[in-house]
Amino acid sequence: MIRYLPYFALAATAAAAPFAIEKMPNPPGVDPQIGGMDTLPDGKVVAAFHRGEVMVFDPAAKTWKKFGEGLHEPLGLVAESPSNFLVMQRAELTRLKDTDGDGRADEYETVFDDFGMSGNYHEFAFGPAKGPDGSLYIGLNVASNGAGIRPEIRGKWSEIGDLSFEEMIHGDGWGKRAGKAGRMYARVPWRGWVLKVSPDGKSMEPYASGFRSPDGIGVDQDGNVLVTDNQGDWRGTSPLHVVQKGGFHGHPASLVWTEGWNKGDPLKLPVAELEKMRVKESARFPQGDLANSPTQPVPFPESWGPFAGQVLIGEMNQSRLVRFLPDDVGGFRQGALIPMFDGTSLGNGNHRLAFGKDGTLWVGKTHLSWAGAEGLVKITPSGLDKLFTVKSVKLGKDGGKQALRITLSQPVKAGAEGVKVKRYGYLYHKGYGSPKTDEAEVKVEAKVTGTGDRELVLALEAKEGAIHQVDLSSLRDASGAALEGKVIYYQATKLP
Amino acid sequence: MKHPLFLSVLLAASPLCAADTPAQVFQIQCAACHAVDQMLVGPSLVEIAGIYRDRPDEFVKWCIAPQHKREGVIEMPSMAHLGEPVLRQLHGYVIAAAAGKTELKKGQGDPYSVPRAMVRRPQVQRIFLPDASPAAIAVALPGDLSFCFDAAECRLRYVWKGGFIDGAPYWKANGSSLAKLDGEVVYREPSHPLTPGTDDPLATPKFLGYRVGKDGLPTFRYRRGGVEFTETIRPLPDGTGIERAFTTEGKVAQMVTIGAEASISSSTGNFAITAEQSKAFTLTFRWK
Repeated sequence: MIRYLPYFALAATAAAAPFAIEKMPNPPGVDPQIGGMDTLPDGKVVAAFHRGEVMVFDPAAKTWKKFGEGLHEPLGLVAESPSNFLVMQRAELTRLKDTDGDGRADEYETVFDDFGMSGNYHEFAFGPAKGPDGSLYIGLNVASNGAGIRPEIRGKWSEIGDLSFEEMIHGDGWGKRAGKAGRMYARVPWRGWVLKVSPDGKSMEPYASGFRSPDGIGVDQDGNVLVTDNQGDWRGTSPLHVVQKGGFHGHPASLVWTEGWNKGDPLKLPVAELEKMRVKESARFPQGDLANSPTQPVPFPESWGPFAGQVLIGEMNQSRLVRFLPDDVGGFRQGALIPMFDGTSLGNGNHRLAFGKDGTLWVGKTHLSWAGAEGLVKITPSGLDKLFTVKSVKLGKDGGKQALRITLSQPVKAGAEGVKVKRYGYLYHKGYGSPKTDEAEVKVEAKVTGTGDRELVLALEAKEGAIHQVDLSSLRDASGAALEGKVIYYQATKLP
Repeated sequence: MKHPLFLSVLLAASPLCAADTPAQVFQIQCAACHAVDQMLVGPSLVEIAGIYRDRPDEFVKWCIAPQHKREGVIEMPSMAHLGEPVLRQLHGYVIAAAAGKTELKKGQGDPYSVPRAMVRRPQVQRIFLPDASPAAIAVALPGDLSFCFDAAECRLRYVWKGGFIDGAPYWKANGSSLAKLDGEVVYREPSHPLTPGTDDPLATPKFLGYRVGKDGLPTFRYRRGGVEFTETIRPLPDGTGIERAFTTEGKVAQMVTIGAEASISSSTGNFAITAEQSKAFTLTFRWK
């Protein structure tokens, strides 16, 4: 170890230097919590704020200009053009249009509002994420038994549940009834669903069910719809799902809105039955270790060199972002999560992400009433071609054994013998969160191979369904630098 | 209290007004909008001192020709009538008054709220409101009237008089509390005032959005009973009611069928509105 000491200082700077992280000024007089964000072709950034303003940021002048206002808790924004923005607000997906060219929205066109609202505070609405064919995917939060519903609702009421409509109305004694509502509930349509909406809003396909609080919805380089969800009931730890059309993704409350549903209260189904029905996680964020509330997934642009082909994901509670490195095993897309920007000044509350045409990464922050921060942060990469980091992680076979094949951006010069692997899981159950289960050290044989020693092959016995946590902090490149992203959390839902 | 208007006229007449100390000038000219340690209508002296401590020239320039800088806050009126020497003295006073003070913690009040009289009108804000579905829209009209339009039911729910809304209870608690109306409800409407002469009146209404005119007023678009409506609500000049301008494609006759707590008159002269008349007509509502 000692011979690397002189390099450590260098390694620290080498790892931090590729990213310049700058806090941008807030718009004066505006609650600067960002719910939705996108970039425009001219490099400007458009953001939707907590109290309903939509504002355009000019990075050159560092000034904000108001485009629209009055929206209801906007939590997602897609710029269709510099004068047309799609915004998901609580009650609807709205298209804001500046039709007279004065830089202000004059048309607030309701694109899609055919979903229920019980008035419960937790019924947030997320998205849209734009598919390759222009389809818009939105995600609808289930309600929380932290409160009941309101006397007036929008949409059809589901009679499935222990409490009647009247009993579900928030008021005196709610605390005593709350336990019977379900920890999270979906008594109005499409709560806990991802919906696929045509760009004109005229047609909708109930795309997938089983979500709890899908505050991260995005489409990857291959056109897959990705959703991050939040740890809680039926979520032992926060998952990343590659959404399957028609699939049930694990949180049962939404099942009542399945066409032809005849199995009664889904909360009363045996866990084993739900386990069989559900689409498994493509990745999981260990609570407290990696992320507690993951947010928007956004594919890296090609200009981000070693990160191309990966997906960047926000995180509310910890001062980092996370990246997803996909791996297709047995026809199922799973993969590895790796922390990013650890040890930088990024801070927490990282809610919305958008890459500019020039490769600039914009991070919009919020907290609402939870942990987080505020405002807009600009991240400029440089020297990515010299960065030492993990480019891909694939679970396959090496000889007769299973092996994790880790491709690196630079040759590995030292440290392969120090690589450690452990595995664990989380319970799929009604309870809120879960302890780690079946924790075990995994024996591993490491060898450096490939073109110019850029591949690390870890022969091991993988366990189906488990998270395999690979500690790569011992690895060094020729300059003595450690990796940007030293820990891999590989979700082995399927084995080769 | 002294009479600020009277005094400012005096000051304007004799700009140097040697008798008034900077503290007195501040009290008369500035204190209504600026407090030492918290935002009122304008920023606190602590914040102003932070910006202009070593920039007296900019301070004077700003006071003479202020601009609209903060969203949701009205523009400061020009203080040119005080004259540059008085403004320079005021600069010293502001710095001294803020010395050693810190901005009050934002925990209690809402740092983004605007006093009733300073609310920008007209204005549209979607938020949870009482006595409406969760898809409610609050609209502040010019003057002192505001109304709640319900996007789920596609109809006016009620009108209130006074200030606009206090949204802080909603915004601070992610919607587990409703926004409060800052005023008294003067009119409630039990149902949409028009019944189409044909088609299915029971079909679920469909909200289509709204257009904000150059005057800042929203024109709502919705479909009820197979008829696509636009509706623009304006206050009557004397504040005793509202005028509602409707348009349709003019294919279906309409009937005003409301037993409301208001006297209603139609621009068509009759509550039976013909298909042709329904292309554009106005209903005037005065509260009883």
